[in-house]
Amino acid sequence: MNSTPTPGRPHGRTVALLSAAALTMSLAACGSSEESGKVTEIGFWDPYPQYDDSSDWAKYVQSCAPEGTTIKRTAAPNTDLINNLTTAVREDNAPNVVFLDNPAMPEASASGLLVPIDEVGLEATDADANLAGPGTVDGETYGVPVGANTLGLYYNEKVLADAGVDPASITDWASLNAALKKVTGAGHQGITFAGVPGEEGTFQFLPWFWGSGADMSDLGSADAVAAGQLVSDWIGKGYAPKSAVTDNQSASWDLFLAGEYAFAENGSWFAQAATEQKFPVKMMPIPSRDGGPAPVPTGGEFGVVPLHKENSDAHYDAAKEVLDCLLGSETQIETDDMLGYFTATESTRKQQIASTEHYQPWADAISSAQGRTTDLGTGYLATSAALSKAEQAALNAAGDAGQVEDAFGAAAQEAKGN
Amino acid sequence: MRTVTRNPAVSTLERRTAPETVPASAPPPRRRHHLSRWAGVAFVAPLVTYLVVFYAYPLAENVSMSLHRFTRATYVTGEAPFAGTDIYREVLTAPQFWPIMQQTAIFVVGSLVFQYVIGLALATYFHRHFPLSVLLRGLFLVPWLLPIIVSATTWQWMMDADSGIVNQFLGAFGIDPVWWLSADNSLWAVMIANIWLGIPFNLVILYSGLQNISAELYEAAALDGAGPWRRFWSITFPLLRPVSAITLLLGFVYTLKVVDIIWIMTAGAGSSQTLATWAYGMAFGKGTSAVIEYSQASVVGTILLLVALLMGLVYLAVQRKEEA
Repeated sequence: MNSTPTPGRPHGRTVALLSAAALTMSLAACGSSEESGKVTEIGFWDPYPQYDDSSDWAKYVQSCAPEGTTIKRTAAPNTDLINNLTTAVREDNAPNVVFLDNPAMPEASASGLLVPIDEVGLEATDADANLAGPGTVDGETYGVPVGANTLGLYYNEKVLADAGVDPASITDWASLNAALKKVTGAGHQGITFAGVPGEEGTFQFLPWFWGSGADMSDLGSADAVAAGQLVSDWIGKGYAPKSAVTDNQSASWDLFLAGEYAFAENGSWFAQAATEQKFPVKMMPIPSRDGGPAPVPTGGEFGVVPLHKENSDAHYDAAKEVLDCLLGSETQIETDDMLGYFTATESTRKQQIASTEHYQPWADAISSAQGRTTDLGTGYLATSAALSKAEQAALNAAGDAGQVEDAFGAAAQEAKGN
Repeated sequence: MRTVTRNPAVSTLERRTAPETVPASAPPPRRRHHLSRWAGVAFVAPLVTYLVVFYAYPLAENVSMSLHRFTRATYVTGEAPFAGTDIYREVLTAPQFWPIMQQTAIFVVGSLVFQYVIGLALATYFHRHFPLSVLLRGLFLVPWLLPIIVSATTWQWMMDADSGIVNQFLGAFGIDPVWWLSADNSLWAVMIANIWLGIPFNLVILYSGLQNISAELYEAAALDGAGPWRRFWSITFPLLRPVSAITLLLGFVYTLKVVDIIWIMTAGAGSSQTLATWAYGMAFGKGTSAVIEYSQASVVGTILLLVALLMGLVYLAVQRKEEA
């Protein structure tokens, strides 16, 4: 969910719409060709519902259909995609190719929904280890990274200048808090971020969590509590909006675009949009507690091949052709430019960043970003859920240190129980 | 859940068809008796098929799912080891179970009481025709007509702690801003939205109930010197009892299963988590239940079912008492 590139995508709010989409999708899946022999209609699912059938992206995907075939593209938000895929695999009418969100990779592969890419005849790409990491589960590689995005700290230059804050002075949490104090003291607003329950909230919390020195293997550590206290104080002191507890990344970006907030923690997929505002927007790496850039999580999808029972060879051949076309080393840049992603391979990313000015501040962040699931594998989702609950409780505590500590202690217990 | 309300339908159908089949089985030709029996079966078959396919089967599957350990991999491998009542025990002893039960009870009872009282007050008010009453009554239906995605999102904005219109309004009376969607207050926030949403339903049903009360009763009471208050308590309220009972029963079932408005406003965070949103989160891996827990969700689903069934029985008992 974190990685969808534009603000136009449906939110977690649009539950009703989503279930309708899920239904249409499972029906649509029945359309793919089931007879043995050549597959003439290739199923392709992606989590970009903001691009409709007339979009450039849809046409671009279509252009990858091998001769004599058509691609039937279906889009649904990330959280629905894996559920729809589960039922589709069971009915053996799964699509041939899916772009699956990276934190879902361990669960999807461990549940047997995916085929290792070497069985399909695809070679592991030369993608950077930190970006390809989530695609490898228990030593098997299940996906080719589509591209990558990550988080940074956008700031409104005008607001900072007005409050007399030099962006270069912000290098650690203390200087960030000092800047927030100055900005709010000058009558502006502080910082927006997404604290919505669930994976999206965890994604946004990780830079502070990791930047504090905390580790997902111990949610109750003093460093973890310090990160919780940081965001809790922002609410308590009025630096961040109370709506952070329900804001997702689109909502928190919209708040920032109103022009009153000094900072916004948000994704590289907004880098383009940031250049188009009425006020000057810049980006700095998210600072860690003791100075220097904090480790940030990678976002982005993997191109995966779902399991087929009947006529599997023909299905996998079709999948290979489409994936080669979309994510081969020559075409990757074009695909990622279209999605607003960085390419996952260092050499092509260098070209991409060199040719796009607003990508330049992101170069270091993306190279040093960490996969969320790389350490914990299938245990990630449960731990992430516990961490999300702890962050929610911390935000609600509005600065109360005792409650923050209790919340992270409880999360550590819950994560151990899983 | 709907089977509850189906039951009376089935029983009235049986009651209605019963006297017809009795004379048919009387002396005349044997063949006709057979024919009419087959015709009867043919007429009932679509209903029975419908009930089995859309009610009995999913309900049985739900119960079976709650007794077997389903994971995502079950869909691929088909392996779901039998767990007996283990999953029930896990859910019932989960630390969040009783708080969620309590929140559900507050949500349902609170919503019902306010929806019913406000709905009844408005229905009585509109019962006396006055200029523009039809238009005004129509306006009260707006919450019902709006897509919930729209109304829930609007409520979320209005209840924004920092810049929402609700807090600005309260501020005009010198009341401190309330953090509506915080963990502690979110139950009240979603309840207010849900009450607003449920008033039109109560208004419409109770209003049509009022239409069936004979105007002569009111005239006679007025001649006997009964004031409006006395007329309400001695005529309107008792005669509305059957309608009130069905309104409250339907309202109960609707409120118990509310997911959408809560989910859109808070994603079930904090005290706004009810049995229904908890089950939804676990079944689809949403909100803070990132891991799919089909079986646990089925357990909660079964509990919801039992509660609704219980209410259905209460309704039947009340109805029987009315008829007697």
